Amino acid sequence: MRLTLQLLISHGRVARKMGLGSESRINMLRNLLTGLVRHERIETTAARADEVRFYAEKLVDYAKKGDTDEKAMKMASFWMTEKDLVPKLFKVLAPRFEPHSSGYTRMARIPNKANLDKAKMAVLEYKGNPFPPLYPVKKKNELALVNQLLKGYREERAQYLASKA
Amino acid sequence: MVTRIACQVLQRRFASVAAALRASPAEVRSQRNAVFSREQARQRALYPRIQKIEVSMQGPGMEGTLLVMNRGMSTPLSCARHLTEHHETNSALALVDGEPWSLHQPLTDSCSLTLLTFKDNDPTVVNQAYWRSCSALLGQVLETAFKEDFAVELLSTVDVAVTAGAFCYDVVLDPKLDSWTPSEESLRSLTRGAQQLIHQDLAWEPLEVVPSVALEVFSHSRCKQEEVEQKASQSPTGTVMLHRCGDHVLLSAGPLVGRTGLCSQYDVTALHSLGEGPWGLHRRAQGISLPLQMEAHHTVWGKLRQRAERRVEVPKPEEVTPPASDQPTTTSA
Repeated sequence: MRLTLQLLISHGRVARKMGLGSESRINMLRNLLTGLVRHERIETTAARADEVRFYAEKLVDYAKKGDTDEKAMKMASFWMTEKDLVPKLFKVLAPRFEPHSSGYTRMARIPNKANLDKAKMAVLEYKGNPFPPLYPVKKKNELALVNQLLKGYREERAQYLASKA
Repeated sequence: MVTRIACQVLQRRFASVAAALRASPAEVRSQRNAVFSREQARQRALYPRIQKIEVSMQGPGMEGTLLVMNRGMSTPLSCARHLTEHHETNSALALVDGEPWSLHQPLTDSCSLTLLTFKDNDPTVVNQAYWRSCSALLGQVLETAFKEDFAVELLSTVDVAVTAGAFCYDVVLDPKLDSWTPSEESLRSLTRGAQQLIHQDLAWEPLEVVPSVALEVFSHSRCKQEEVEQKASQSPTGTVMLHRCGDHVLLSAGPLVGRTGLCSQYDVTALHSLGEGPWGLHRRAQGISLPLQMEAHHTVWGKLRQRAERRVEVPKPEEVTPPASDQPTTTSA
């Protein structure tokens, strides 16, 4: 809903206002991020999940710099309220996402809360976790009838193109 | 006027001559049906008392399921009915002790049973059975599509690999139709005939018979009789497999899928002329079909259909065992 032009244009407002103030917001996000690193999949309100997602990706980017990097270690010890998770960050998550440059997390909507506030809920997870997949995986079967027919079609097409060339 | 009357008289004369030479298709069909029903009743009467057999089901989620069924009466389909509706509607074929088994064929002994669907991990057996069934359906359509006064002779069935892109049925039409080239419209009407059969959801009832019964069934067709003799000599038990779909009795190389309703997309794509053969002008009808659970998008279907219009080449089984040495084997033109 657009009330004024002032409300439409962000003017540098990139984050949501959450909690009791900026410090309270950061503390809340720290707790969420600690939980995410520990359990690799968390369930929270959609706004919080969306908010913490940015920090979760950023933290992996820092972790990739290695535990000898001063800035990386500082970031890790700040965001992990439980310090036993710092080695996990450098030894497990950083090697896991070594081949990727971004998109380390996945977010999915789940049904709203059943209680009075009916809050929008979401699941946030690090990719490559050991849990069952959030979305059903599509089965690929090369031997299915359609695929067999298409295989024949492709072979014939390749032969035709080869003979033409 | 005079020519018209002459034409009518001639036509009537020819029709009566032809009728005297051969029985009408309706009579042939009812005779085949009668023999089939008689043999079926005889085989069912072999088990007058109800005896129990134990069928252990194999498959995901069915380990340790043991069904107590009736010997010579229960079919794999009745086992599927004991499970869920999903098993009943989706299974196309059964494996009894590792052997492909039609869904409507009664079980005769305690066995292990696997129900096969089109979406299994290895559906090769089902695909082949489906291709065979579609070809059988094509034969049935061809036999009933023409008017009574045009004879249609179905030749031996040929098994085509699925990757060939189309199933086919060789047929000899009436000599009066030798100059006829089928138009797009006539192929469409054949397709419509097949769609009607699919809509009726008819079952393919199997029956394993000794060659003498099969020869009696096909007493009007010399070509089919030769095929029966050839199949009987090849099979280890000396019996041949008959199937009935509606009122059409056919000879098949192996088990067929359960019912016609499993087909969803079905098109008769071409009717090629193979040139003069021992029985007349041979023609090869071709078609393509996909089962209910895996319909293709229309762009994919269009490509597959276009491919199915080209003539498929059949590896000739006659070269291995020449059935008719007196007849010159003509290669297809």
